[in-house]
Amino acid sequence: MKRNFIAFSILFAALALPAAMPAHAFEMAFEEDSSLPIVYVNLAIKAGAVTDPAGQSGITNFMGEMLLRGTRSKTKEQIDLALDQMGARLEVETRAEALIVRGAVLSSQLEPFLALMREIASEPSFPEAEIRKLKAEIVSGILEELGNDSSLEGRRFSRFLFEGHPYGKPVLGTVKDVTKLTRTKIAAQYERLIHDLNFVVVGEGDAHEGTMHAWSTDLARLRPTGSQAVIAQVSTPVNAPIRRLQIVDKPERTQTQMDVGQIGVRMTDRDYFPLYLGNYAFGGGSFSARLMSEIRVKRGWSYGAYSSFRQGLKPRSWQAHLFPAAKDAPAALAETVKLIEELHAKGITHDEFDFAQRSLVNSSGFMYNTPKKRVENTVLERTLDLPQGFMQGYAKELSLVTLEQVNGAMKNFLQPDRLAISVLGTAADLKDALTKAAGVQTKDVLVVPYTEE
Amino acid sequence: MNPKPSAPFIAIMITACLVAAAASSCASGPKTTPSATTSTAGEVVPLVGSAKVHRYTYPNGLKLLVVEDHSSPTFAYQTWFRIGSRDEIPGKTGLAHLFEHMMFKETKNHKEGEFDRILEAVGVEGENAFTNRDYTAYIQELPKNQLDLIASLESDRMVNLLVNEQSFRTELEVVQNERRFRTENNPDGTMYQDLFGLAFEKHPYHWPVIGYQADLDKMSAQNAMDFYKTYYSPNHATIVVVGDVDAGHVHDVIQKYYGGLLASSAPSHDIPVEPTQDAPRRESLKLNIQVEKIVLAYHIPGIADADMPAIDVLQAVLSGGKSSRLYRALVDTGIASSVDSEDIDDKDPTLFIIGVNLQKGRHATQAESVVLREIARLTSELVGDKELERARNKIDFGFYEGLGSAYLKAQFLGKYEALTKNFELGLLEQQRIQSVTPEQIMEVAKKYFMPSNRSVVSAFPKGGKQK
Repeated sequence: MKRNFIAFSILFAALALPAAMPAHAFEMAFEEDSSLPIVYVNLAIKAGAVTDPAGQSGITNFMGEMLLRGTRSKTKEQIDLALDQMGARLEVETRAEALIVRGAVLSSQLEPFLALMREIASEPSFPEAEIRKLKAEIVSGILEELGNDSSLEGRRFSRFLFEGHPYGKPVLGTVKDVTKLTRTKIAAQYERLIHDLNFVVVGEGDAHEGTMHAWSTDLARLRPTGSQAVIAQVSTPVNAPIRRLQIVDKPERTQTQMDVGQIGVRMTDRDYFPLYLGNYAFGGGSFSARLMSEIRVKRGWSYGAYSSFRQGLKPRSWQAHLFPAAKDAPAALAETVKLIEELHAKGITHDEFDFAQRSLVNSSGFMYNTPKKRVENTVLERTLDLPQGFMQGYAKELSLVTLEQVNGAMKNFLQPDRLAISVLGTAADLKDALTKAAGVQTKDVLVVPYTEE
Repeated sequence: MNPKPSAPFIAIMITACLVAAAASSCASGPKTTPSATTSTAGEVVPLVGSAKVHRYTYPNGLKLLVVEDHSSPTFAYQTWFRIGSRDEIPGKTGLAHLFEHMMFKETKNHKEGEFDRILEAVGVEGENAFTNRDYTAYIQELPKNQLDLIASLESDRMVNLLVNEQSFRTELEVVQNERRFRTENNPDGTMYQDLFGLAFEKHPYHWPVIGYQADLDKMSAQNAMDFYKTYYSPNHATIVVVGDVDAGHVHDVIQKYYGGLLASSAPSHDIPVEPTQDAPRRESLKLNIQVEKIVLAYHIPGIADADMPAIDVLQAVLSGGKSSRLYRALVDTGIASSVDSEDIDDKDPTLFIIGVNLQKGRHATQAESVVLREIARLTSELVGDKELERARNKIDFGFYEGLGSAYLKAQFLGKYEALTKNFELGLLEQQRIQSVTPEQIMEVAKKYFMPSNRSVVSAFPKGGKQK
């Protein structure tokens, strides 16, 4: 069976995106696909929210959004009208280490769309009136997000785990910081990030690769790298020296949101694939995984229970996430911590290893079986400095991993005595029981009101 | 439902939560013995571009749709049952969805957990299921050489499921946790539940797909088994296969595994017709939120109605893109941080919903006034040609994007088959949208968007002043 699927993976490898390196220092890859009359164009900037200066959290995202709100020759209203007239979509996505302008358009409208996208990227005007409006929208968006238990817990967990490290900063920023942003600071962030050395153009669809190449070259000429300062990489985050518990206190919760985790691993680290395989066996999405089996299948404590890595240029996070009913939260937390401790101490079994390896190798082709997935893989590879074709190498890498490597890597990687545990729930009902379940001292418990950023 | 943390899962679940759908599940008639061994001959219908749909119908009532797409050595396999919360009765709400969870348990041929484990071992992708008001779908993508395996497993659980009490109790707890996640502890979920409850008084769309807590508390394994015996059979299902397959071979495989299954005679039950709403309805909620929210709904017809293309265009005029009327009037003016609208695809008459998240310090009443003003404009002024073209282009783009993978093509076909028993309606509607006139938009605005047809749910921060 495994042999069949290695062949399956190799078939996909033959469909890898061709990559071109034009004269200007940017990267470009486009996959022609005329099955539907749509073209997807992504302009990824290899710098994201971690470049937000101190006291300016959210500025990269803000600057990206402002690209769509006015150029030297067009107002926001004119841009919106033009995009809708073309049946196009143009959005900005901000990640920790990338800013991505995502475009999609009917292929019949590609020419005017590319012209507009080029203008947006190279001639933004950052009008003051739009800055005021966007501030109000983003502040309200942050407050709206704080009303959602799941996103609030995710935001608070990152901050708790990474403490002051840039990976812990919210991409949208804080209300306090966003309110203080100025046009000068936003324009400075644009000058700092948006230039050809940082450009990655990746797309697919019903267009010629040559068209996209010419457009990318033109765009790069408009934003040559000049005297912009080199953006320093962030430091490597480290775990706090003790196990800690944070309770995000929200009244009247019948259900909790729970994260248990630690600093993660880079995709290019030697132990990445053994850890990836070990995580799959532990909580990587399979119903047969330990965490899902113990928490959901056997006990019905949570609708979902899984563990995953978040990736970055530096190690980001590994975390288990579940959302048990408030009545079951202490028991579910105790069980999760116990399972992590056992994983650290004993690793996974031979049967778990065999099953995980087979599943992952056999399903690896689905990581790149459509043009859209291949585009996303390329964006990830280029923005995280991964080797070209890295995402298509999973089957081969995973097939070479041994049980001993998995368990050795887990032993070295997991730090149960330094776990960061965060639970959104009603503190008055749960604090004592959660403290006990987490196995922490009362002094190591932080209670924060849900209304606090 | 399967909570795997994948993007498709999230998209599917949100759709399942906010969107509706439909299907008349209650095929009646005697038990059918598959006396004939072959189905009707495959019919070929163009889909989009070079893609074609091969359609087969089997003597036991099972339908099969196949689209060959050899761009990747994989295929999507989806089983759509024309059964949803619409088929439930008061006191048993949530049973269709709860039963969907039980479909991943034990059968006569496979112990609990084997279904998932076998598929995961061969590299299944996106194994999942979702229940809606009118349908329940079971979905997977697999490597191309696994067609026999999935047909074997899916045909087995269509008729051989076992429901044991202990397993049922555990899964009931999981579903109650899902309800806490989607509704009780989710402001939007709470508002949507109340909106449907307010707008519908008689029709089953009144209750949430996930059911009421009190009903779930009383549910038994026997209820689940009764539901299964009533509704799960080949004559209530359509199988959709899209990918690197040969249509004739798929037909043979389906015949091999499903051909011997018996049709069932589900008791026909009368779905109550929703009486015409004769006055506006309103509800206010106090929630643990920091900015106000409002959702407004108007009754509109079901998906097959001839007015739907004009309503689709009206929806795009109102909130399709940042040049749309509601975005301009609410977000660009600083009243709202976001606005959206949706004309839901349901079998029976359903709702057109407009949702607004307010900006800090702004009030739901302001947003409501603006929405009503914009709706009044639609009833008194014709939409201009340029604006109509923008709306059509937006819809065109969404249509093509919605067919952008094997999974999405299968979903398009399955949904329209479940709702109308005829996927061509989805293609026809797209054609009709191209010829919608400004006069037709005004006509549907006047017909459906009148005050007496409106229901409104507003949410305010607890402890804040309501204006």
